[in-house]
Amino acid sequence: MFFHMVLERNLLLHPRYFGPHLRENLVMKLMKDVEGTCSGRHGFVVAITAVDGIGKGEIREGTGFVTFPVTYQCVLFRPFKGEVLEAVVTMVNKMGFFAEAGPVQIFVSSHLIPDDMDFQTGDMPNYTTSDGSVKIQSDSEVRLKIIGTRVDATEIFCIGTIKDGFLGVINDSDDVV
Amino acid sequence: MAMSMEPFNRLVRLVARAFYDDITMKGENQPKNGRSDNRGMAVVVLDALTRRQWVREEDLAKSLKLHSKQLRRTLRFFEEEKLVTRDHRKETAKGAKIFSAAVAAATADGKKNPREGEEKVKLHTHSYCCLDYAQIYDVVRYRIHKMKKKLKDELDSRNTIQEYICPACKRRYSALDVLQLISPTGEHFVCERCNNELIAESDKLASQEMGDGDENARRRHREYLKEMLQKIEIQLKPLIQQINRVKDLPVPEFGSLQAWEARANAAGLLNGDPGGNDPNRANQGQGYGGTPMPYLGETKVEVALSGAEVKGEEDNGADIGSPMKQLPPWMIQEGMNLTEEQRRGRGEVKSDTKIVSSSTSTYDIDEKKPNDVKEEDKSIQDEYIKAYYAAMVKRQEELKMHQKTQNELLGGDVSNVQETHPGRQVGMKAKREDDDVEWQEAAIPAVANGAPKVNDLNITASESENEDDDGVDWEEG
Repeated sequence: MFFHMVLERNLLLHPRYFGPHLRENLVMKLMKDVEGTCSGRHGFVVAITAVDGIGKGEIREGTGFVTFPVTYQCVLFRPFKGEVLEAVVTMVNKMGFFAEAGPVQIFVSSHLIPDDMDFQTGDMPNYTTSDGSVKIQSDSEVRLKIIGTRVDATEIFCIGTIKDGFLGVINDSDDVV
Repeated sequence: MAMSMEPFNRLVRLVARAFYDDITMKGENQPKNGRSDNRGMAVVVLDALTRRQWVREEDLAKSLKLHSKQLRRTLRFFEEEKLVTRDHRKETAKGAKIFSAAVAAATADGKKNPREGEEKVKLHTHSYCCLDYAQIYDVVRYRIHKMKKKLKDELDSRNTIQEYICPACKRRYSALDVLQLISPTGEHFVCERCNNELIAESDKLASQEMGDGDENARRRHREYLKEMLQKIEIQLKPLIQQINRVKDLPVPEFGSLQAWEARANAAGLLNGDPGGNDPNRANQGQGYGGTPMPYLGETKVEVALSGAEVKGEEDNGADIGSPMKQLPPWMIQEGMNLTEEQRRGRGEVKSDTKIVSSSTSTYDIDEKKPNDVKEEDKSIQDEYIKAYYAAMVKRQEELKMHQKTQNELLGGDVSNVQETHPGRQVGMKAKREDDDVEWQEAAIPAVANGAPKVNDLNITASESENEDDDGVDWEEG
């Protein structure tokens, strides 16, 4: 699920960036540091939308670096258990397949894949129904439900299933059973 | 409306007993058994709500004899369960009484009296609650569906997180860990330590099993799940039947609090009899508002109405609202020319006071007496407080205005009175024919004298003075 939140961060700026463009340098540094990262608590930072304010800088003792507290608004993405997402399959093996929904990786194990789909080895390993109508292979789009998340300090990883109703490969025309 | 509600009420009662009969509200505190074990209170509350429509939470607490905090907690819980809708609004006491009137009208009391007393500007937040039948129907179906689905999913092992075991070192990994365990070829997962290929093994909500004896544990677990499913079918059968019965019926809809109130008031206006109603009922409706001493602030109106009732009875069905309002005793200043009506009402009111029974001769007003007695008996409880207050005020004024001798006389009279009314208690009906007769008699000569006083005591005192002729100088106040 996506969220839009106000967060705060302390940025350390080298004196070479002091000058008339101090603020722009700070903002650039913020974006470089924060965008694309993940915190266990908030999820993945997708993009920074605004910088609300930059506080007074404090010079650190012994070095010339200055710490600025920066408040900024950003779009966050955090997956939850029970959430249904669309994802793109990246890797298929006999234990299941891996898919990515944006920055988060989801693994669907083979026992959570419907029983009528079997693993086919080959240079493009895939899962196929017995009549060949539905195929899951690399780069297919799949709708899956998250049944478990593992949240580290800087990483989020999920387990998904496609065994429930309305889940599975997304086709433009057909409905997925 | 009550007709179509019966199957829904039955549904609510079944739901309460099926799902909510063992919830306690003390989640965080330590559970103390015995005295504070009030499981099942939720069922009582839901049952009570099936018999009412929109109800104020304080009133519900009073009628169920529950602490309002506990009741509020229970209602909050039900609000979260989507069984009950609540509405909180700031109201003056006047607004609260309008609601009470609406309730009275809705529950088919004939009388409804929106009070137009003095505005109480202080705003209290009143909370109201009502069963939401439409939501209840959906919520119950959803709940049963989720219960069954959860068990079925577990049986089919749909939501289990796969476990992987290394055959060599017996190390167990969850599917959540596999990201780091992908083999270089990408075909399987390898153990961290021994680099052996991992074997999949399905897990069942791991807390149920420990490592060994998997097979048995798993089988037992499956049997347990199947048994639970069967039990659900059997035990919820009456509830499911009731749901099917209710499925096609129109859902009773009360609307928002404002809408319901407006409707009930309108209905009450049509149904209620404006005049000649039971004053007891009237006063009950008025006193329903829940303020402790309603008469203090609105004595004027009360007296007018009860006087109107009395007059209605005497005049055989006069309409509401006598042309001249009757003044309450403490409002009457000296030198005021009280009209017959103003005083007559006073006379009625006076009859309930227990201040003085003077020693003057009795005056028999036969035609009034039975009516009065009947009135007083009915309105004793209401008049008592009002009259007591009036009497207290009167007594203060007397003590201020007259000298000590008069006080002695008064005291003597008072003690006299208290002796003569030993059995009289608050709230108990007592015939006081003597009193009212004397009061009637006392009031009228005062008018004849043309010098109406605030207190009948003054009058009786002056009369008795004339008779006793103590030769004391009265200071007429």
